[in-house]
Amino acid sequence: MQELKVLCELSGVSGRENAVRDYIINEIKDYADVKVDALGNVIAFVRGKKRAVKRVMADAHMDEVGFIVTYITDDGMLKFATVGGINVGVLLARRVRFDNGTVGVISMKPVHLLGDGEKDKMPSEDSLYIDIGASSSDEAKMAVAIGDCAVFDEPYEALGELVVSKALDDRVGCWALIDIIKSGPEYDFYATFTAREEIGAGARTSTFAVDPDYAVVIESTTAADIAGVPDDKKVCAVGKGAAVLFMDRGTLYDKDLFELTLSTAQKKNISHQIKTFVSGGNNAAGIHQTGDGVRTVAISVPCRYIHSASSVAAISDVKAVRDLSSAMIEKFASGELK
Amino acid sequence: MSDLKEILKNLCEADGFGGLSGALDVAESYLSKYASVRRVGNNLIGEIKGKGSHTVMLDAHIDEIGMVVTSVKNGFLKVANVGGIDSRMLAAMKVTVHGKEDVRGVFCSAPPHLDKEDKVSKITDMYIDTGLGDKAEKIISVGDRITFEQSFKELAGDRVTAKSLDNRAGCAALISCAQKLSVEALNCNVIFLLSDMEEIGGMGAKTNTFSVFPDEAVAVDVSFGDTPDVSREKTGTLGGGAMLGVSPLLDRTVTDGLKNAAIQCGAKLQFEVMGGRTATNADSITLTKSGVPTGLLSIPLRNMHTPVEVVDLKDIESVASILAEYVLSK
Repeated sequence: MQELKVLCELSGVSGRENAVRDYIINEIKDYADVKVDALGNVIAFVRGKKRAVKRVMADAHMDEVGFIVTYITDDGMLKFATVGGINVGVLLARRVRFDNGTVGVISMKPVHLLGDGEKDKMPSEDSLYIDIGASSSDEAKMAVAIGDCAVFDEPYEALGELVVSKALDDRVGCWALIDIIKSGPEYDFYATFTAREEIGAGARTSTFAVDPDYAVVIESTTAADIAGVPDDKKVCAVGKGAAVLFMDRGTLYDKDLFELTLSTAQKKNISHQIKTFVSGGNNAAGIHQTGDGVRTVAISVPCRYIHSASSVAAISDVKAVRDLSSAMIEKFASGELK
Repeated sequence: MSDLKEILKNLCEADGFGGLSGALDVAESYLSKYASVRRVGNNLIGEIKGKGSHTVMLDAHIDEIGMVVTSVKNGFLKVANVGGIDSRMLAAMKVTVHGKEDVRGVFCSAPPHLDKEDKVSKITDMYIDTGLGDKAEKIISVGDRITFEQSFKELAGDRVTAKSLDNRAGCAALISCAQKLSVEALNCNVIFLLSDMEEIGGMGAKTNTFSVFPDEAVAVDVSFGDTPDVSREKTGTLGGGAMLGVSPLLDRTVTDGLKNAAIQCGAKLQFEVMGGRTATNADSITLTKSGVPTGLLSIPLRNMHTPVEVVDLKDIESVASILAEYVLSK
């Protein structure tokens, strides 16, 4: 899984997906006709062994959550906004990295100096800043400009039987889609690697361009299978297979396709589970209502601590998502559905 | 400066508290080049002998903040803190669990559907995810030590960030001082004490000062560096030089001697004035036996007790130069 490590460690804040896009194009260019649309989405036509009866689009987003510099203070500190949803609690005392290699740390007032009530209250995001070690505004501006983006600076590594990294959301989907492309699919299909999912702008233009009959959204989703959480709030569980969605906060999924996805997983003996909590959203929100509508399924890798420097997933789930996504692409493209 | 950076990187990336000896091993490998060294428990003592019987002791604590495991179940751990830890920063933070082997852990972070963003959990109510499932109990036991995990990185100018710069920065200053003194003829003996357990009450400095009972001492620690969220009068400026502690509890003659040494060697100095206790090892060192005249030098440090502490290497150099000059003035 060296490719997943490389993918996760690349920087690709929403709108700044260049490094991820370059890597993906280089990986798939020998297997597909590749173009990039006006918003930076990669649209690849993948030639299979047979011609598709129905047009299928499989989507994974390239971008990740991160930070954008909004202001540089006279002291050389960087004020920032978060890009995508990040809780303040996972920001404090983290290291971040800019595209040019500049490293900074997110401030934390020393515990010794906290006043009454401060210990029990999260600071506001607005009160935080990134310290790159500059002692003046001029020194800071030599390294970083307003509008520059940073990502969490954390390596991809093993966590027991699992893996931990920033950006598993959604480089796991990118990895699975690249792997499907390279494995010689049965039918022609379109693969899209999309930009700006984390800010809600993902996949609209690419879906318009592809105009598919069916879409398979390959994603990662919140898993809360952690100590102290009641079973009905666990959403899905790491290591228990590909999570299939019936509803999230952006999409009420096509019931027939949801059931077909489950039965296909069963028949093919692919480890799977149902996401049992209605929360979050993904590119399906934009995809299913594009043009005259697209029948859409979402297949996700369960991911603990998503949108943090240390999200956690199981490689067995990533492979299950790949296998189930591949099976659904094939089923849809074959034209066997009415 | 590149020597100092290398020493500091190796000291910070090693772990050291509660019997974890990585940082002591690194410190010994450097200090033993310049001084005769011995271990007393989890403390390291280096000695350079000079003429006469006068002994100056230089102290820097080598322990870091951390945690101990209080329960292990289904791959999740509960812990208690060792030293002051702000639990607000812990969600999704990485740690190293020192079980039968070292394993990675991540503090659980409740997703938004379960938790209001503003809620702050106590550290003892939080869990660490090891990703090991049932295997965790074979590797990890109650009482095992946990340290924060963060590599050493360079920032702009001469500033660096790492975990446990509190107080490996002080340890690096002592090692650098030993290097400077090792080529000089001294009129006094110097003891370098890298002491354990400062973060939980300063036991290492207490007991070893009792054994050594020096004629005078200087404690070296870190103090609060200038950040926008703390008022300027409570902090030292990063890059502004060593912070000289001034307090009724500290010895006036030693303090003035350190100030003169700074002037003599041209090192930058700033003042940190306190009304009483210094919250460093100086407090216990000076009260040992019939009393030890004690001074205090501190290195300004940002984000204290987090894995992203920040110091300026120039300030560590200032401390090392002042200490060496002070000993040579004896």
